[in-house]
Amino acid sequence: MRLFKLIPAVVAYALLQVILRRDGDADLVRRLKAHEPKAMADLYKRCGRLAYSVILRIVRNTGVAEDLTQETFLRVWNRVGSFDAERGALTPWVLTVARNRAIDHLRSMDGRMEASAVDLDHLERAGLFQDLDASALSIDRARRLKSALEKLSANQRAVIELAYYEGLSQTEMAERLNQPLGTVKTWTRTALQILRAELIEAAIA
Amino acid sequence: MNCQELRDMYELYALGVLDEGEKAEIDEHLGRGCETCRRGLAAATALNSVMLSLTPVESPGRRLKHRLLASIGYERPGWFWTGALAAALMLVVALWLATQERERSSQLAEVRQTLLQVTAERDRLNQAVRFLSDPETRPASFGRGQLAPPHGYVLLHPQLGVMLIASNLPAAGAGKTYEMWFLPKTGAPRPAGLFQSDGLRGLHILTGPVDLDALNAVAVTVEPAAGSAAPTTTPIIVVPVGS
Repeated sequence: MRLFKLIPAVVAYALLQVILRRDGDADLVRRLKAHEPKAMADLYKRCGRLAYSVILRIVRNTGVAEDLTQETFLRVWNRVGSFDAERGALTPWVLTVARNRAIDHLRSMDGRMEASAVDLDHLERAGLFQDLDASALSIDRARRLKSALEKLSANQRAVIELAYYEGLSQTEMAERLNQPLGTVKTWTRTALQILRAELIEAAIA
Repeated sequence: MNCQELRDMYELYALGVLDEGEKAEIDEHLGRGCETCRRGLAAATALNSVMLSLTPVESPGRRLKHRLLASIGYERPGWFWTGALAAALMLVVALWLATQERERSSQLAEVRQTLLQVTAERDRLNQAVRFLSDPETRPASFGRGQLAPPHGYVLLHPQLGVMLIASNLPAAGAGKTYEMWFLPKTGAPRPAGLFQSDGLRGLHILTGPVDLDALNAVAVTVEPAAGSAAPTTTPIIVVPVGS
C-alpha cells in the first residue's frame, strides 16, 4: 500500500502553513456564525481543496467526493454556532468533518454502518477542537510526523491507513489482514507511539 | 482501565474506530471529567488533524465552489455583475439584430413591390408589342391636328382586345380616375376599365375578345376613383371605330 505519497516539499510547506495557521480563525468563525456568505467563500478558499483531497482519498470517486465536500461545508456552516471563536481550531475541525462524511459513506456502501455502531457525529463536536496543543500544530511538528510516517514498517503503515482512510476498527483490520487481533493491536499501538513521540508526547507528558 | 492503559487508544477513539468495549472505557473517563483523558484526546485530535493534512492534494472541479456558494444563496458580486453585464450585452445584441431584421424585411418588401411594378410594366409593354405587331390589329387615331385636346391612338383587335394610347390628357384631379367606355351601335355605354396617366400620357389595355362589328366608338371620361357603372362626366376622348 502506498500511503502518504511524497508530495513536493515546497508545496507541502506552503500547504501546511495554510492548514495549521490559526491566525484569523476567530474573525472567520465570527463571520461564519453571523452567516455571512462571504465567510463561506473564505473558508472554502482556506481548506476546500484539502477537505476534498481527504474525502477523495477515502471514497476514490471524484463525483462522490465533490458531493461529500459540499455536505461537509454545509454541516460546518450549520453547526458553527457551537464553535468557540477564541479557542477553536477551524481547519482541523473541517478536516475531521470531511473525513467522517467519507467514512460514513464507505460504511453505508458496504453495510458496516449497523455493525460498527460507531457514531462519528459526537466526534465532531466543536468542543473537541478547542485548546489543541499549539506546538503540536506547528509546521515543524508536521514535518517530523511526515518523516516518522516514512520510517514505519509496511505493516504499521497498513494499519494506520486502514484506521484513517477506511475507518476500520482493529477487529475489522484483523479480519481484513487475516492476522490475530493481538498482532494488529501491537502494530497499531507501536505505530501510534512512534507518531505521537514525534509530535505530541512531550506536550502531554 | 486506568488512564495509562487508555493513552494508546485516544487517536483511534477520535477516529471513531475503537472497538466498543474500549470506547466505553474512554467514554466513562470523559463522562466523569477525567482531565488526563481530556488532554490526551485533545492531543490525539491534533495528531489526527496533522495526519489528515498530509493527504496528497487533489483539485476538485471548478463548479464545486459555485455549487456550494449557490446552496447558501451566495454568488460573488464579481460573478453577479459579470452575469448582469453579459445579460445586458445579449439584450442589446438581440435588439440590434431585431432592428436589422426589421430593416431587412422592410427593404425586401420594397424590392418585391418594385419587382411587381416592373413585372406589370413589362407585361403591359409585351401586350402593347403584341397589339402593334399583329396584322389583325386595326388602328384608329384621335385628336390629330388639334392643340389642346388629348390625342393618340386606339388599337383594336378582335381577340386581344383594345389598347388606348393617349397624350395631352387633362389632369384627372384628386380622387379621380380615367375610365374607358365602349359605345355600342345600340344600347348604353359599357365600362371598359380604369387607368391613370403618367404625367400627361396614358396607356390602357383591355384584354379579351371584342365584338368590333357591334362597336360604334371608344370613349374616355373622368370618374370617381372607384369607377362608375355609367359615364357621369362629358367624355374627354371619343374615338369612332365603326367599320
